[in-house]
Amino acid sequence: MGQLPLLTILTFLPLLGGLLILPLWNCRRLLRPLALGVALAELALAGWLLAVAGGLPRPPGAPPGFFLWESAPWIDRFGIGYLLGMDGISLLLVALTAFITVIALLVSWRSIHERAPLHYLLILVMESGIVGVFLALDLFLFYLFWEVMLVPMFFLIGIWGHGRRIYSAVKFFLYTLTGSLLMLLAIIGVYLIHGDRTGVYTFALPLLTQARLGTAAAPWLFAAFLFAFAIKFPLFPLHTWLPDAHTDAPTAGSVILAGLLLKTGAYGLVRFGYPLFPETARAFAPLLALLAVIGIIYASWVAFAQEDMKRMVAYSSVGHMGFVALGIASWTPVALSGSILQMVNHGVTTGALFALVGMLDERADTREIAAYGGLWGKVPVYAFFFLLFAMASAGLPGLNNFVGEFLILVGTFPTMPAAVVIAFIGIVLPLIYTVRLVQEVLFQTERRPLALSDVSWREGAILAVMAAIDIYLGCHPKPLLDLLRVPVGLLTGVGGGQ
Amino acid sequence: MTLLDLWPLMPLLILVCGSLVILLCGAVLPGRYGTVVGVVACLGAALWALQVPPQTTLPALGVAFTPFSRLFIVLFMVTAAITLLLSHDYLCRPGMNGEEYPATILFAAFGMTVLVSSATLLNLFLGLESLTFAFYILVAYDRTRPTSAEAGLKYLLLGAISAAFIAFGIALIYAGSGTLYITGAAGAALTGPTLAGWGFLLAGLAFKISLVPAHLWTPDVYQGAPTPVVAFLSTGSKGAAIAFLLLLLPHLAALGPLRLPLWLLAFLSMTVGNLAALLQPNLKRLLAYSSVAQMGYVALALLSGERGYEAAAFYAVAYTAMNLAAFGVIASLEKTGSRELVEDYRGLGYRQPVHGAVLALAMFALAGIPPTVGFAGKFAIFFAAIRSGEVALAVIGILTAATSAYYYLRVVVNLYMRSAAGEGEGEAPTVPEAAALALASLAIVALGIYPAPLFDLVAAVLR
Repeated sequence: MGQLPLLTILTFLPLLGGLLILPLWNCRRLLRPLALGVALAELALAGWLLAVAGGLPRPPGAPPGFFLWESAPWIDRFGIGYLLGMDGISLLLVALTAFITVIALLVSWRSIHERAPLHYLLILVMESGIVGVFLALDLFLFYLFWEVMLVPMFFLIGIWGHGRRIYSAVKFFLYTLTGSLLMLLAIIGVYLIHGDRTGVYTFALPLLTQARLGTAAAPWLFAAFLFAFAIKFPLFPLHTWLPDAHTDAPTAGSVILAGLLLKTGAYGLVRFGYPLFPETARAFAPLLALLAVIGIIYASWVAFAQEDMKRMVAYSSVGHMGFVALGIASWTPVALSGSILQMVNHGVTTGALFALVGMLDERADTREIAAYGGLWGKVPVYAFFFLLFAMASAGLPGLNNFVGEFLILVGTFPTMPAAVVIAFIGIVLPLIYTVRLVQEVLFQTERRPLALSDVSWREGAILAVMAAIDIYLGCHPKPLLDLLRVPVGLLTGVGGGQ
Repeated sequence: MTLLDLWPLMPLLILVCGSLVILLCGAVLPGRYGTVVGVVACLGAALWALQVPPQTTLPALGVAFTPFSRLFIVLFMVTAAITLLLSHDYLCRPGMNGEEYPATILFAAFGMTVLVSSATLLNLFLGLESLTFAFYILVAYDRTRPTSAEAGLKYLLLGAISAAFIAFGIALIYAGSGTLYITGAAGAALTGPTLAGWGFLLAGLAFKISLVPAHLWTPDVYQGAPTPVVAFLSTGSKGAAIAFLLLLLPHLAALGPLRLPLWLLAFLSMTVGNLAALLQPNLKRLLAYSSVAQMGYVALALLSGERGYEAAAFYAVAYTAMNLAAFGVIASLEKTGSRELVEDYRGLGYRQPVHGAVLALAMFALAGIPPTVGFAGKFAIFFAAIRSGEVALAVIGILTAATSAYYYLRVVVNLYMRSAAGEGEGEAPTVPEAAALALASLAIVALGIYPAPLFDLVAAVLR
């Protein structure tokens, strides 16, 4: 397939598209189609890769499991290289990124009037940053993308958000920055320890993971990585930025935050945290599992008490990501595949839920659960999708979240049965608050006379596509699991290798 | 000394002749050609310095043109040129008349050139003092504002004290080592008089780059002095003081007893500077405390041995670009009313998109967010620190850097997330200002994305 630098194109296409907006700043009519076109092109590229990924040969120089690979020198003095690679995990998450970005652009199609060019520019820049995070295999490069994706989200929340938007934006930024700066120290530490031991000074992940870094400093280094990733996750008790950020973010921001940014934390742990410090990570696993379980129970409990729909969905995200963390903690092939699948599932389902709440908010200007009621009769199409995604989020069999949660619990049970038993409560609790939400919003008698219109064809199309994905993955997750088998096998060291 | 010796000295002569031409012409011809002559002289000096073969020494004059001096001469000349571009509009205001100002900037640039190309301690001191004298004048230049005169007085008094410290330190080092040549004097064993000399030298230079506890003049002077002067003061003068240290420290066999004072200076500057900046409602004072903190990071680099010297040199360049951008925007905005408080910048990112974007970029760079040169610089510093075993100080530095993001973000929040009460469209920057801002922003982004050449360069010149 030629010498096209596909990964570089994937990473920088959105950025270039975003920069194209600058000269067209005042041609408002061109902007939306341009931004959407760029995002669709990215999605098409990712979709094409999904289709052909199975047949791609391993490129020369690539580590096992990677079917696309690009490397070039960048800052030689420090052993920093421009290293991009794609295996099944990256591919899935990149495809999710491309998809969610398109959704984010579409849900804000009509709601963004002020400073629209800046809005599209930021979303595209963020897409570049997130794709970069999922593809970078050089620790320095990874850190760079990791930080770059913060800035657009900070602006998205701060400029187009509501409520205490500035407070939330700054809180989001400072929380994540503190974590990632400590990770930067750890990255430098890893580099130096590896260099002193082997004589090869490099930030390249494939080289760093070959030499096992079981030193006295390893727990500290791993803790710094874990801290940075756990904030993004968000793992209890580092989650407090998330409900604020979600509640005050504009719809597109919430969709991207839930659909993508949370995934970067989990991805970082899977790709960097565990492989760099396998033994230490094993030792930390009970702690991670404990925090995950506390997060699952606690978040579901708090979600129950929320009056604001967006806040409720936000807390439910904390709970769902707890499952992902549990799967990673157990580090068995089944649980890990489940976790990665669950990242995709959660991205689509929660993204759809935030979009749904955003649509209500656009129409009635309130997100209070108590304001609604009787939507089932009034806006039937909307209500149908609302019910579907709420059930998917609660883990109804046949819909996608069930598959992920099931795999995580099955995979974790042999190693940590106690955690699984408690986490099981975490499956029941969402059912309770979801049923309550659905009952109050859809079936309760109407409490305020709100003039609501049903979904437009644009909104309907977004929801229909997301619903189709939910159902498809719920019934037939095999293609994605096949894609994950090789990389997960390599990561966990249990079969499935080349 | 022969006529041929004048060849390598030409950069110095160009600067002196340039400023004399400006002064002489100012006496007879009215007009505002000072900026043009000044910029041409600076760029001419920079180009000439690049033509002089490296490792040219003139022992009779105590001058040595090394790759190190070349790099810094070019940096200072560009800084001076940008300052002149930024001041052009300032000088057109009523009550200002211009020719002494560009002439004095050129004198300051001359002092910096002398400093970085000196081979003896005496020349170092002469260079430092001639640039400081120029700044005494520049800081107090705006006679219409009483704060400017007050700032000038403060700077003069503390500057005089620091000069005394440095002179005494040099005398003690001379007494202890028996030579004025940098290589010999700095290489002498750290005992008795030389150690005391180094102590005085450090104390004096701590004033110059405003390290805590010698930082107290900084906020007042930054607030009072004309903004383009602050741009130059915070970049050129600090860069010169860093160059001063970089000329001496690498010759030391080991930091030895100097480690503790440097450690304390770095620690206090990073913590006190960042914490004090959190509370500042005034943007210039905020940037003043931020510069205290930033110099703390440089001190951390200087503590960290060879890699640290490279990081410090890199950071001098990075810091110059970031501060020129920040103060450039403030200077350019001052035309349309007072812009003292951070609050005054509400919604400015939309009314004046160019100014807003450059200021926001500078803030992100100062906070060390990639892909800006500020991040590359901080990375190099923490890298060197951890490498030399200063892990505790590196962790403190990281935590204070995270704290600093709060006040840099405060500026960005005001620029883009708060709306102002009914103000019309703002003015776009003038052509010289636009050129200056564009150059600084370009440096911030380009050196952030691809810092490799500059890293290689500073490593080469420090060898």
